Amino acid sequence: MASIKLDKVCADFPVYGSQISFRKVLFNRTIGGLLSRPNDGSKRISVRALDHVSLDVRHGDQLGIIGHNGAGKSTMLRLLAGIYEPSHGTIKIDGGVSPLFDTSPGIDQEDTGYENIVTCGLFLGMTRQEIAAKTEDIENFAELGEYMALPVRTYSTGMMVRLGFAIATAIDPEILLLDEGLGAGDARFANRVRKRMHALIGRSSIMVLASHSDALVQQLCNRAILLDHGRIVADGTPDEVIERYKEMNAETDKALPPPTPPEDDASAEDIDLMPVAPAKV
Amino acid sequence: MTPEYGVAITDITSGLMNWDMWGRLGWREVKRRYRRTVVGPFWTTLSLGIFVVALGVVWSRLWGQDPKTYLPYLTSGMLTWVMFSTFCTEGSSSFFASEALIKQLRVSYTLLSIAVVWRNLIVFFHNLAIYFFICIYAGVPIAWPMLLIVPGLLVLSINGVWIVLLLGMICSRFRDIQQLVTSILQVSMFITPIFWSPDQLTGRAKILVDYNPLYHYVDIVRSPLLGKVPSAWTWFLVALMTAAGWSVTIYLFSRFRRRIPYWL
Repeated sequence: MASIKLDKVCADFPVYGSQISFRKVLFNRTIGGLLSRPNDGSKRISVRALDHVSLDVRHGDQLGIIGHNGAGKSTMLRLLAGIYEPSHGTIKIDGGVSPLFDTSPGIDQEDTGYENIVTCGLFLGMTRQEIAAKTEDIENFAELGEYMALPVRTYSTGMMVRLGFAIATAIDPEILLLDEGLGAGDARFANRVRKRMHALIGRSSIMVLASHSDALVQQLCNRAILLDHGRIVADGTPDEVIERYKEMNAETDKALPPPTPPEDDASAEDIDLMPVAPAKV
Repeated sequence: MTPEYGVAITDITSGLMNWDMWGRLGWREVKRRYRRTVVGPFWTTLSLGIFVVALGVVWSRLWGQDPKTYLPYLTSGMLTWVMFSTFCTEGSSSFFASEALIKQLRVSYTLLSIAVVWRNLIVFFHNLAIYFFICIYAGVPIAWPMLLIVPGLLVLSINGVWIVLLLGMICSRFRDIQQLVTSILQVSMFITPIFWSPDQLTGRAKILVDYNPLYHYVDIVRSPLLGKVPSAWTWFLVALMTAAGWSVTIYLFSRFRRRIPYWL
């Protein structure tokens, strides 16, 4: 049985060489993480992205993490993926974790589509046999035809995203971690993308999705938490938590006369997501 | 923060075992140099060859040495030095070059380090072509100590991995170190016997030879290339450096491994 247990987890990001702008940032509280200077007299400044978070995720949970930009959503996912390790507290994870934050880590522009399937597949933790077995499925989904044998450099952005998405979603995850940015190109694809995502989530035992789209969380999750300044402020069904999120937004709007909405809120409605340029190694 | 040796050791062993991955990553860089060029990675070989021949011809006159002994000496030393110094320079940037990957997946840092070493080993074998021609020209006899190239390269590579790992880690945190490494290497190339023979040095300056680990790192591969057995002192000092280097690296790595993604 897969499970995740977080016990009083903190994540602190050290900030180097930015002492000058410290005061300015301090007043701009809308950015999220808590800035702190340790009490031990040292001059180091760090941003506390997560503040004593305790959480229990059980087998079968499809957990949505909601919150403003900088509330700690991505940090939380990266902690669960084992990329960051907590500066305080403990994380206990049973089961293999598959993080999908960006389409295909390790895609190489100079390599062909086929070569990239192998490289990315290995990075995602597949064995050579699994990759060989999945290659056809990936090819079919990506619909790249002859282009599969050409260097990825020659692809259009949409094609590259399709390939990356096809590889990334071919895995058999036990614990699946998703960032909402993951998605694929043109509109014609939206439907197939949705289907494939559902199939992927269906294959997993636990799914954790970070998003500020209410609709996406309602559609895909059976549980949600609301993060604010690195703390969990609500935990429950998606409907309850989204309700709380809306209240919170209304409160902040009142409290802060000049509302500066986080810039990517505009895209939050659009669940089928923006094309994401694949990462290079 | 107490050291977590378990996590560090797992990182090292899992990285080492995943030969499929580091082999692939190392080759990929070399393959990239082959693409769309006629001679591919031999361009670096060619420019190194021109450098060595030009320098060798002029300097052998300058110092009144026989080009037939000076050229093989210079070439074998340069080949090894180029590999070693690339370990250091690429090591300094290895982690932030892979930042996107490190922030997306839990990867073994050792794996990334081995890929750097492996790639440079492949380049070394390309460069060996120059030495082959120099040997024909100078008539270097084939001798059994040449077999010692294998353990020599192995030992140098084992050292390469800790160097890349350590420098990658330090340079993620302190960005100045990368510049420092480059300048130290530049100076070291001249004060380490690569262009000149250790016999040319007398008196107290001998320290530059006897206690200079860089000299022994180079010599452990250079001597076999020249058909000579490296001295016992060289073996001893390199063994010492291997043990000391790995101990320091494992200590620091187990202490700060978890901080690396935060630093990037």
